[in-house]
Amino acid sequence: MVGETRSPGLHSLTRLPFYLLALTVLFPYYWMVSSAFKPLGEITKAPPTLLVQNPTLTNFSNPLYDPGVSDQIQGLFQRYTGIGFAGFFLNSIFVTVFVTVVSLIVASAAGYVLAKHKFPGSRIVFLVIIGSMMIPWQVTIIPNFLTMRDLGWINTYWALLVPGLAKAFAVFFLIQSIRGVSDELIDAARIDGAGEVRIWWQIVLPLVRPALAAMAIFVSLGEWNNFLWPLLVVNDDAHATLPLALGRLAGALSNDPRAAGPIMAATLLASIPTLIFFLLFQRQFVAGITVGSLKG
Amino acid sequence: MRNDNLRLTASADAGSIQMGMGSGKPARRVRRNLTVPLMMLVPFIVLFAAFVLYPVINSLYLSFTDYNAISQPRFTGIENYVALFQDPRFYKALGNTALFVVSVVVLNTVLGLTLAMVFGGQSLWDQIMRAVFFLPAVAGGIAILAVWKWILSGESYGILNAVRETFGLDPIVWLGTPSLAVTMLVVVAVWGGMGGTMILFVAGLRAIPTELYEAAAIDGATPSQRFWRITLPLLRPTMLYIVITGTIGAFQVFNEPYLLFGGVSSVGGLLDSALTLVTYLYDRGFGRFQLGYASAVAWVLFIIVFILTLINLRVGEPEDRASK
Repeated sequence: MVGETRSPGLHSLTRLPFYLLALTVLFPYYWMVSSAFKPLGEITKAPPTLLVQNPTLTNFSNPLYDPGVSDQIQGLFQRYTGIGFAGFFLNSIFVTVFVTVVSLIVASAAGYVLAKHKFPGSRIVFLVIIGSMMIPWQVTIIPNFLTMRDLGWINTYWALLVPGLAKAFAVFFLIQSIRGVSDELIDAARIDGAGEVRIWWQIVLPLVRPALAAMAIFVSLGEWNNFLWPLLVVNDDAHATLPLALGRLAGALSNDPRAAGPIMAATLLASIPTLIFFLLFQRQFVAGITVGSLKG
Repeated sequence: MRNDNLRLTASADAGSIQMGMGSGKPARRVRRNLTVPLMMLVPFIVLFAAFVLYPVINSLYLSFTDYNAISQPRFTGIENYVALFQDPRFYKALGNTALFVVSVVVLNTVLGLTLAMVFGGQSLWDQIMRAVFFLPAVAGGIAILAVWKWILSGESYGILNAVRETFGLDPIVWLGTPSLAVTMLVVVAVWGGMGGTMILFVAGLRAIPTELYEAAAIDGATPSQRFWRITLPLLRPTMLYIVITGTIGAFQVFNEPYLLFGGVSSVGGLLDSALTLVTYLYDRGFGRFQLGYASAVAWVLFIIVFILTLINLRVGEPEDRASK
């Protein structure tokens, strides 16, 4: 048991500071939810109200909004034309799912070959992939941006999808898992006439499913939260991902504190899917975070 | 070097990773047709070469030019690096980043380990508390930074200042006070990071065999002796992993300073008080399109991270390995 090293007294009073710490962890979420439902007059009230006095939905959509009246705010959904705020969700989901699925297919194929085949230069390929994990990825953003520009991919989905597909860490991690698959099993399949592609897809991948799941969470979390790259290659609303849209919204806060209502409404909506996802896949989440710190 | 690279990422214990490539018994497989396997390797290799290898080399080349995104790059030798090492903004960014990295890594490690020891149990309550601390690692990102920006509002409707005023203190412009800027970045980063570290330590603590504690208890070891003699040494691989990945990650900090402190005219907040290396890279590269200069910043970042990783690996090397 983990608690082996703690003294019995730690259970009661000594734990108190940690409960206070837990409250400070939760507070921004509480503040996000309550601010999202505060009307314009209340959200900029000093001192702020800890409990919402007059809950309202005007931060999401304000039926009374009139650009000519000064003490009105534009609801979140009224801010964007076309498919509106939901479009950022769709962009983020599309990019995250595509990059996660494709990068793991590509990485697991490479991982299988590097784990179970020896060929001239295989060792060098392996070492280069590992060595590349030491490189801060920001080193690549300027040349990659120029590549996107030269290909005409700025403000297209291609720029969001393609450069993120080479995940060296996923290859490294999957190599370790795939090495655990028995050679006898693979040889038996080979004798039965299975080709390399079939061995990889039908035998190896099902056997390393936990590693794939952990890697999927790890990759998708990173893609879902990616901010700097979309910031560089997307300037329009049509291709903006959720973090990019939220970042632009948050920028508006510097100019006008009254924008806080719709911004908190947006952050609330953006946090809900991740929370549901986390509750559904809690164990894989933990595995995705611990990936790499313990043996694969 | 070979092992160092491996332990950087796998690190749990060097023994768990077999290099395999050079050893084993693959002799009977050498004659097999390799066409299909090599074809399966091609997609990754092409993507890796195009979007990882080529950019790294190209940015090194660009760092020796005056490229401005419009006219052809002109080779200028080490001019960018010379200018960089005389650039007060670069030193400001470097200093801020260094202070940020040290504070965040130390606080995340200490708080993460403490939380793991306090809430590491199997009870439902402990699980709930772990979920609370882990929450920012899941529902974090840009959304919660926007909330932080709102919480840290300088005016008196900002909640933090309302708390200060109840205690009779004057409101503070949290994000506009240069002496507080890095502290604010650290607070937000530790708030979001300690839960992830806690989860790693919980996994590390569970991997320690219970028998060791039982044997130590029989020998009359005190709880603090057990902590210093058993827990801490056996957590070394987890600790090393946390410090290395934490250092690399913190050196690359961008979202927090950009969102909390970035304004129309400056990315670094008032007097560059929150300027970090990557926000500076962004400012030079994409604010002013001095892509050659920004590439030099990127390579300096790379070299710093590389050296720090090597130092971490050296310091984290278990004593018995050093003698081998």
